[in-house]
Amino acid sequence: MLGTFNTRVIALMPVAIAINIVLGYTVQTVLKLPIYLDSIGTILVGVLAGPLPGALTGILSNLIWQYTPGIGGGTIGPFAVTAGVIGLLAGLWGYLGVFRPRPAAGSQLYLAALVGAAIVLLLAIRIYTSPIYGTDPAQGGYGPGVYVLIAGIGIAAALAVAGFIIWRRDASGAWVAAAGAVTGIVAAIVSAPIAAYLFGGVTGSGTDLIVAALRQGGADVFNASLGQGLFSDPIDKTITSFIVFIILSSLSTRVLARFPLGERLVAQQRA
Amino acid sequence: MRPAEGVYHRLNPTTKLVIAFAAALIAFGVRGWSGPVGVLGVVGVTAAVAGIGRGMRPFVLATLPLIASILIVNTFLYPDAHDVLFRVGPLAATGTGLAAALQASLRVVAFALSVAVFSLTTPTDDLLVDLEHRGLGRRGVFVIGAAIRTIPRMAERAGEIVESQRARALDTEGSLLRRVRGLVPLAGPLILGALSDVEERTMALEARAFSAPGRRTTLRPIPDTAGQRAVRWLVALGSLALLAATAGGVITPP
Repeated sequence: MLGTFNTRVIALMPVAIAINIVLGYTVQTVLKLPIYLDSIGTILVGVLAGPLPGALTGILSNLIWQYTPGIGGGTIGPFAVTAGVIGLLAGLWGYLGVFRPRPAAGSQLYLAALVGAAIVLLLAIRIYTSPIYGTDPAQGGYGPGVYVLIAGIGIAAALAVAGFIIWRRDASGAWVAAAGAVTGIVAAIVSAPIAAYLFGGVTGSGTDLIVAALRQGGADVFNASLGQGLFSDPIDKTITSFIVFIILSSLSTRVLARFPLGERLVAQQRA
Repeated sequence: MRPAEGVYHRLNPTTKLVIAFAAALIAFGVRGWSGPVGVLGVVGVTAAVAGIGRGMRPFVLATLPLIASILIVNTFLYPDAHDVLFRVGPLAATGTGLAAALQASLRVVAFALSVAVFSLTTPTDDLLVDLEHRGLGRRGVFVIGAAIRTIPRMAERAGEIVESQRARALDTEGSLLRRVRGLVPLAGPLILGALSDVEERTMALEARAFSAPGRRTTLRPIPDTAGQRAVRWLVALGSLALLAATAGGVITPP
């Protein structure tokens, strides 16, 4: 249940750590996108090998990123805690078979697309109604902008998930979206106290604008960081989960089946 | 990495690791001014002794965006602070906010410098050899060592992929949507290429008795002294005790 460390997993882990660091660095500095994408390797190992290997990959990624000369990672080290939790959750998703392809057609496919969109909207509404962004929009100081943004992102994400499911003819998109969004919410809850307690609530990236907006609206240090996290992390982790899903589905069954959780990643054969 | 020179360089790598972790713990864990300032002082003296002042510059420069953000957000937007220093448009700078901002900035600088002292004085290979000598299994040593060696190669590969996709009209400068579209042609080849190496590495490791039982013998033991062992325990337990004492309210640091 907790995961296996066979030679294949041990060979995968350094590669996954390097993917985390190099891709995270490239996305943040070359493409300059406002997301992190530094947990693809962590989720990959978690899904393929279980919670413990996933957690270790996440923790080691952040520590190596911080302490290796030349790639120095600013504030990344203390967030090893978050990375570990992300790996644990990914192991759970792998164990539950979330990332297994589920080919569907006809009405079943459209039902799955609806369910996927509904899950995303439900989580977006939960974030929308979170007291962090003020209990009453009319009373809040930062105006309706935040709400319009959350609603817009929620609807766009729901459409993207439904579109993905129909395009790939695979009902798993709904599961992957839910797993990614839940991972993001948990990551935000774990990260907020670290940012608030260690770094004055900010991280030195573009997302600090959201922190400033929430502070301006009257949120305290912790809630402003949590609000920013609940904004960025579910989006980041959902995108990451879909990237991992696409990678896994482009690997051959032969390669997948050799990993400890491989059986749970290949489509179930009909007897 | 240059050969070890000077007193601090010659310390056992694990001693330097323990000191670095203790510095991070105190800089972040002991609130108020004394924690970060104390660590900054200790780290500054160590850096001077080790003679690495010049090498620390990039580490300090790297913290500048974060510090700018900490100073601006906290000075002007500190919750429930009313001791206004001056106003810029609709925003008011508060004394409480400025104090909190300066403390957070000091913490970040102290932490960054403690990281710098460790990474500039400790060759990774030495640390791994020493940790294996102390009982870290070969799996752990392999994962950490291989990861550190893979990063520069993969970064090079990522650079090549970005260049070749640019040559095929990938837009890395345009609007947000265009840059998002650039994600797949970048991440896809990078990850799939890296995963195809895993299979070969597995075979290579198995062929070299990686999963054989028993411990490996250390060919080149890293020198250690009884004095350093005492220092390690003292630093580790002392920093934890200090943290517990300040968190529990036994000592209130200024």
